[in-house]
Amino acid sequence: MKSFRGWKLAQRCIAAATLTILCLAASAQGFALLGQPAPDFALRSFSGINVRLSEDRGDVVVLTFWGSQCGVCRKQLDLLDHSFSTYRSAGLHMYGVSVDDDAAHARQFVAAHPLTFVMLEDPAKDVARLYQIDNLPTTVLIDRGGIVRHVYRDFGPRDEALYLSQLRELLNE
Amino acid sequence: MPVTEKTGRIRHCLAASLLGGLVLGLCAVSLGTRAADAPAVSSAPGDATAAAAADASSPASSAPAGATAPGAADTRSLDEDTQALKKDVVDLNRDLFVLEEELLFPANTQVAIYVSMDVGEFFALDSITLKIDNKEVTNYLYTPREVDALLKGGVQRLYLGNLKVGNHELVAFFSGKGPDNRDYKRGASLKFEKSIGAKYLELKIEDRQRKMQPDFEIKDWE
Repeated sequence: MKSFRGWKLAQRCIAAATLTILCLAASAQGFALLGQPAPDFALRSFSGINVRLSEDRGDVVVLTFWGSQCGVCRKQLDLLDHSFSTYRSAGLHMYGVSVDDDAAHARQFVAAHPLTFVMLEDPAKDVARLYQIDNLPTTVLIDRGGIVRHVYRDFGPRDEALYLSQLRELLNE
Repeated sequence: MPVTEKTGRIRHCLAASLLGGLVLGLCAVSLGTRAADAPAVSSAPGDATAAAAADASSPASSAPAGATAPGAADTRSLDEDTQALKKDVVDLNRDLFVLEEELLFPANTQVAIYVSMDVGEFFALDSITLKIDNKEVTNYLYTPREVDALLKGGVQRLYLGNLKVGNHELVAFFSGKGPDNRDYKRGASLKFEKSIGAKYLELKIEDRQRKMQPDFEIKDWE
């Protein structure tokens, strides 16, 4: 009887371990663009200047997709802005891509929250579709060779340390 | 689109195989140089440390030029081989690009539209939208760098596509900042006949000094 219970427990442990491994693998492979060249795009910024991603090849680029109605995005934008002001001299480019349906809301938000990095508008969501964004905020780290290296979904204060270490790593490459 | 994906895959496969060949070639070259060096080291099998010490001391002490010459020559030949392989890769990539264009846009249906800009005092280009036969084919946003390149005399290929033989209409909308930094949007159109053979059209943006206005023209390169 004891051996039967032990066998059942072992089976459960194996099942749990398999499930954990599968979940980890799924989360790692969740973003199809990881390790792939970052899709090029051109977007208009809120200041009126057009930006093309391929012009920043050779520098590290941080792309963050946000919406004015997203509370988490606001905190994350402040956090990213701080890292941008620290590392911009090391060759860092940072763009915030607004996916608001109504550009007026995004403009109001940008006016109320002045940030040092460039804010781009994507009302048609072409770029968001290109980057397969299904969650806000999503932040994408692109290396000097134009390859998507890291992606953060639901970026929170806990991710800050990881983000900074990975950013430093890319800047040192 | 499937044709593009197919050719893209072919290109990727060829590029991957070529890179593999490049790596194998480099390995072979490096192994060859090591093999060439090997007898010199193995000639003194009894005392490896003494040989290493002799190797380390020889460039500094007796004849540095004579001692480093074979190594330098090997490195030079390796560099030359690498450069030759790199050149082959670039040439092959160019040939593949030409082949891809010939496959996707055959000469008898090809239409290419170019953009050029002269002076640009009265117009700061922001975007161009192209319509062929009332169907939007491209909408291109210009960055300050791209505008600078056009102002320096660059010619950009804005669109490359296919059209049937017959009559067609091209409409181009130019938007940007006009005189006195005001928002400015103008259109230009051209009815043209597509015959057998490639068709080349040029969108020219020029300044009209007399009118103090920009001028937009579509030129048909027969």
